Amino acid sequence: MKTAFAKAIELILSGSPELLNILATTARMSLSSSLIALLLGVPIGILYGAVRFPGRTPLVVINRTLTGMPPVVCGLLFYLLFSGVGPFGKMKLLFTVKLMIIAQVVLITPIVIGSMETFVSGIAAPVRETAKGLGFNGVRTFFLLANESVYQIFSSYLMAFARAIAEVGAVSMVGGAIAWKTNVMTTAIMQYTNMGNFSLGIALGIILLTISLLVNIAVTLLQGRLSS
Amino acid sequence: MRINAFTKTYGSRRVLDFPGCELERGKICAVIGANGSGKSTFASILAGTVTADGKVETLSSKISCGFMPQKSYAFRMSVLRNILLNGNDLKKAERVLNELSLMELKNAGGKTLSGGETAKMALARLLVRHYDLLILDEPCASMDMKGTIAAERLITEYAQKENAAVILVTHSLAQAKRMASCILFFDDGKLNDDPERMEEFLRFYGSDKGDPGNGGI
Repeated sequence: MKTAFAKAIELILSGSPELLNILATTARMSLSSSLIALLLGVPIGILYGAVRFPGRTPLVVINRTLTGMPPVVCGLLFYLLFSGVGPFGKMKLLFTVKLMIIAQVVLITPIVIGSMETFVSGIAAPVRETAKGLGFNGVRTFFLLANESVYQIFSSYLMAFARAIAEVGAVSMVGGAIAWKTNVMTTAIMQYTNMGNFSLGIALGIILLTISLLVNIAVTLLQGRLSS
Repeated sequence: MRINAFTKTYGSRRVLDFPGCELERGKICAVIGANGSGKSTFASILAGTVTADGKVETLSSKISCGFMPQKSYAFRMSVLRNILLNGNDLKKAERVLNELSLMELKNAGGKTLSGGETAKMALARLLVRHYDLLILDEPCASMDMKGTIAAERLITEYAQKENAAVILVTHSLAQAKRMASCILFFDDGKLNDDPERMEEFLRFYGSDKGDPGNGGI
């Protein structure tokens, strides 16, 4: 165990090409999916939180349900849709980073929507009343709400990123954990552990935990700013 | 300027039954009445933040309307930016800030202000813009005496300079007397012009505690 840890540190410090490839694929996947989720989730979250429209409640309930969707179910769904016999099989996206990103977007966008909806619900009434009182239209009110929610937007992004980077169920099913192509940190940890290569698994685990720690520190600091 | 007749009902309870009235540009009309008499509902409906029964159009859509709600809100930005909000009349904003003793706080965060300061900022935000009708729901309720005097002067000046009609909801009868040329007396959700009932109300609410230039009506 000690040797595995020492070797893991050595791998991190030496910058092993395989490790760097896994890190790059992970970064590409999780940064892209969390950014897309943010772009989709923030306007929808603000809409759900600020506007009372017919059908809003069922949509909010569906979103809350999707927030808790097991990643393997999402992975299975996309596997079936994009496999050779599936309706989108011709797109040949199965076992690519692109499909891993799409699956993750479906998984994490509800988190961003839910987080924004809860926050905006709390501030929407006075912002809307003030904006209306100034004669502002819906677009200006939306931007005022977005401005009021700026820390929450960052916080939602970090939550989405943390979920994306640590997610394994969906990405392993649609990505296939192919070395040098679709292998990301979480799938690589599983793979190397199964192969008995503990040192690389531990090295990846250390990096993953460090990123998770940094993200949580950032979220805590943002929450401090939000409550002050 | 015509305000059309409208009603407002919550559940089975009719909280407001307004028969309509005419407002004069350049003049201030005070709205008085006890708590729960329908003053704020009246103001909110006129401002469009609450809808009247049957979504009746209370004002002509050509009339631009500014509204200061009872609870003022500060956006997450500096006091000056809270007032300008992409507007560019910096001189006007600084003059109003100065009059309301907020100049030193112009770069402070809007969220760091006290209740009274936030009310002054919210009032300033409206006074730097042009509206045909300005609706102010207890604008001076949380202001100190100096702030109240400055606010009253600025509101009166605004009505004249902008040729705007102003509706001032207030609990201060002395303030209504100082500023307004007409009074709408709300009594249990209805406009009441019965002199005896108004006399009774004024006897009951006749003293304005801590009001500058106190005297009642």
